[in-house]
Amino acid sequence: MILDPILDMFRGKAMTIPPLDGAFRPNTRLDEAPAFAELSEPDNLLADGDRLLASSGNAVYSLAAGAEPKVVETFPSPITALALSPSGELTVALESGKLLISGKEASLPADISCITALAYAEDGTLWLANGSAEHAPSQWAADLMKKGASGSLWKRDATGGEFRKVAGALAFPYGLHPLGGDVLVSESWRHQLIRFEGTTGSRSTVLTHLPGYPARLSPAGDGGAWLALFAPRNRLIEFVLQETHYRQDMIDQVPPAYWIAPALASNRSFLEPLQCGGIRTMGIHKPWSPSRSYGLVVRLDAKMQPQFSLHSRANGTRHGICSVAEKDGRLFVASKGGDCVLDAGGF
Amino acid sequence: MEPIVRLENVTKNYRGVPAVKNVSFDLRKGEIHALLGENGAGKSTLTKIIAGVVDATSGKMFHKGQEIAYASPHAALEAGIAMVFQETSLVPSMTVAQNLYLGTEKFLNRLRGTYISAQQFLQSLNFPVDPNAMVATLGAAKRQMVEIARAVHHNAEIIIFDEPTATLTPEEKRHFFALIRRLKASGVSIVFISHALEEALAIADRITILRDGELVITDDTSAFDRDKIVAAMVGRTLSGQIYRQRDEGRLRKAGKKVLSVQDISMSNVVRNNSFSIFEGQITGVFGLIGSGRTETFKIVSGIYKRDFLRGGAIELDDRPVRYLVPSEAVADGIVYVTEDRKSEGIFETMGIAENLFGGLLAAGREKAWVINQQEMRQLSAEWTKTLNIKAINDNARVVELSGGNQQKVVIGKGLVQQPRIVIFDEPTRGVDVGAIAEIHQIINRLADEGLAVVVISSYLPEIMNLSDRILVCRQGRIVEEFSPAEATEEKIMYAAVH
Repeated sequence: MILDPILDMFRGKAMTIPPLDGAFRPNTRLDEAPAFAELSEPDNLLADGDRLLASSGNAVYSLAAGAEPKVVETFPSPITALALSPSGELTVALESGKLLISGKEASLPADISCITALAYAEDGTLWLANGSAEHAPSQWAADLMKKGASGSLWKRDATGGEFRKVAGALAFPYGLHPLGGDVLVSESWRHQLIRFEGTTGSRSTVLTHLPGYPARLSPAGDGGAWLALFAPRNRLIEFVLQETHYRQDMIDQVPPAYWIAPALASNRSFLEPLQCGGIRTMGIHKPWSPSRSYGLVVRLDAKMQPQFSLHSRANGTRHGICSVAEKDGRLFVASKGGDCVLDAGGF
Repeated sequence: MEPIVRLENVTKNYRGVPAVKNVSFDLRKGEIHALLGENGAGKSTLTKIIAGVVDATSGKMFHKGQEIAYASPHAALEAGIAMVFQETSLVPSMTVAQNLYLGTEKFLNRLRGTYISAQQFLQSLNFPVDPNAMVATLGAAKRQMVEIARAVHHNAEIIIFDEPTATLTPEEKRHFFALIRRLKASGVSIVFISHALEEALAIADRITILRDGELVITDDTSAFDRDKIVAAMVGRTLSGQIYRQRDEGRLRKAGKKVLSVQDISMSNVVRNNSFSIFEGQITGVFGLIGSGRTETFKIVSGIYKRDFLRGGAIELDDRPVRYLVPSEAVADGIVYVTEDRKSEGIFETMGIAENLFGGLLAAGREKAWVINQQEMRQLSAEWTKTLNIKAINDNARVVELSGGNQQKVVIGKGLVQQPRIVIFDEPTRGVDVGAIAEIHQIINRLADEGLAVVVISSYLPEIMNLSDRILVCRQGRIVEEFSPAEATEEKIMYAAVH
């Protein structure tokens, strides 16, 4: 209707969350997948030749089928991002804001303090996502609740040198996927994927209105990509995000674990906020109940459009997927909320 | 045992065309007698003769051994014969309680007492209907409940139910069957017309099957099974064709997303409902009465309005839409085929041609000021052939058609508008098995042609047979999606109820 733009000012902005259907149709594939390794809060999966690396806390582990995870290297603070250069240099970002390339600390501009993702392009260019200018990576919930949009995208040429800022004002960039000279960035708080042109930094939105908070991207075998979404969007949380005073009081007075905010795992404490009383009916946790945590991995085609997805639903346990890796045609999934790495099989 | 009602060689002609031919039928005291047959087989006409709604052209009727022909339904009711019609005969501008007591009022009525006794009576039947509610505001299922309650309330010793369960949910059906059994135990004789064959097999003592106005067979229920009934009704075995589970290989792949509904709300009936509809696919929507499925799709098609404030968003081809009137939705290619064909779907005193042409007028595709009769007849001939609409003659009024053919007219009225999205709400309610197969073929053909098709149904086998994906609606929102290959009736019902 022609008057809709005017009437919309009085109607208020509709809170809409895209439905989980089409390529996002729920299933239980993550819950049915066998555990490849038990690891506390695994993150940052990386295929390194015939090894599968994962970070957990301060350490990088090597994972193999039927064997205990082996510590490859430990660091003074928790690991927030991992990448492997084309020449095989392990690049590690730490919670403290440091970046180590083959064990040597790289110099970083003062603006970089929250490294959430690293990725090397084929030519050796290193892309770096700085999630927030105000919070550390582990304080992501605070950044969301304060509606942070201070993230930035950085790039260092293959020849080395200083990092150069490509884009700013990003709402928690959390995943990187180099596409030739460009890079695809997952912007968590805006639920979208953006492609940045490598030289000019001009942006184009590739995929928007995602039903969850996108985390890391990982290359897939046929030129597509895998996208992990670490938590679902939820009407209660969307509502809280509109209520500034309530949010401020919550941040000031309530411990972060009990905020009405997305979570990597839930149902661990009775003090956690319920979602509209819909968690349990007659003692049974319904898979379709609104949830603070969820497990979701989406397969994107070469045009970065969703093809299908793997889920661990509200009543599942493999939640908080922050990172995935495809190795030898098999998909491995790190469930940070489920404390395990899954072998989701071939696709 | 002496039958309480007996018909001998009864014939009824309409304009010289026999609707019932030489039928002999008997109803015993305290029995449940199922009357089955395709639409147009003569079931309704036969029972209308018993209930005094129409006169027989020839033949005799005996009630308690006395030969009699009731001149009016009121006379039959006085004699203890009540009929519950498929299309309810309630007064929409009166309350449920007033309808219940209509015709039996005293000179002075205490209104409060009327409502209290109506409430108690409805509760005794397990019917969740508010006696203070205006009938016009009730949905089809609740109107049917009031109609049934009215018949029971008149203490009739013979009650004829014409498709009583078509609008009821599975739970309501269980209550209804319990009620029927209670009536039977108290000596009431029941004639039960139904298209749901399992119901007839489950509840009836005897079954009579009619075909083309003639009696095919009458026997004890134990002598029948589903296939035998269907074969007797249509002369061929159909049940396996109509209701069989889809396997993964036969499901259509989703095409382009044409409609995205996001968090739409309407009062407390539709609550933050979100889903998408894709081209080239049949999306089945299952839900109990009151789950908001019909209301949701009426919002989509511009019949109802979503909440003005924060009512959610509807996107057609990624373009936000908010329809003020249904014609805007029709212009965008969205057609809603109603569940209540009598009051919303057809002009029953008009002919097939006028009704079909009405669809064109509603779509604004016919701009001429003067209706071109030849064009109208041509349109009618084309769609009558396409949809295989059977009528006594070309000028037949829609009210004279059988339920299945009326439904085809409603569908045709929508299809002449050349839609992209077709929403079928209970497309086979009150339709016989032969017509069900034809309507299913039409629906499948539309999806094969690339249209986005939505089928809302309370009948699980229909949903499982037709759909390429199944959405389950509960308390105003879609709670679950199933693939027909993995879905079972138990899984769907669990999602719909819990």
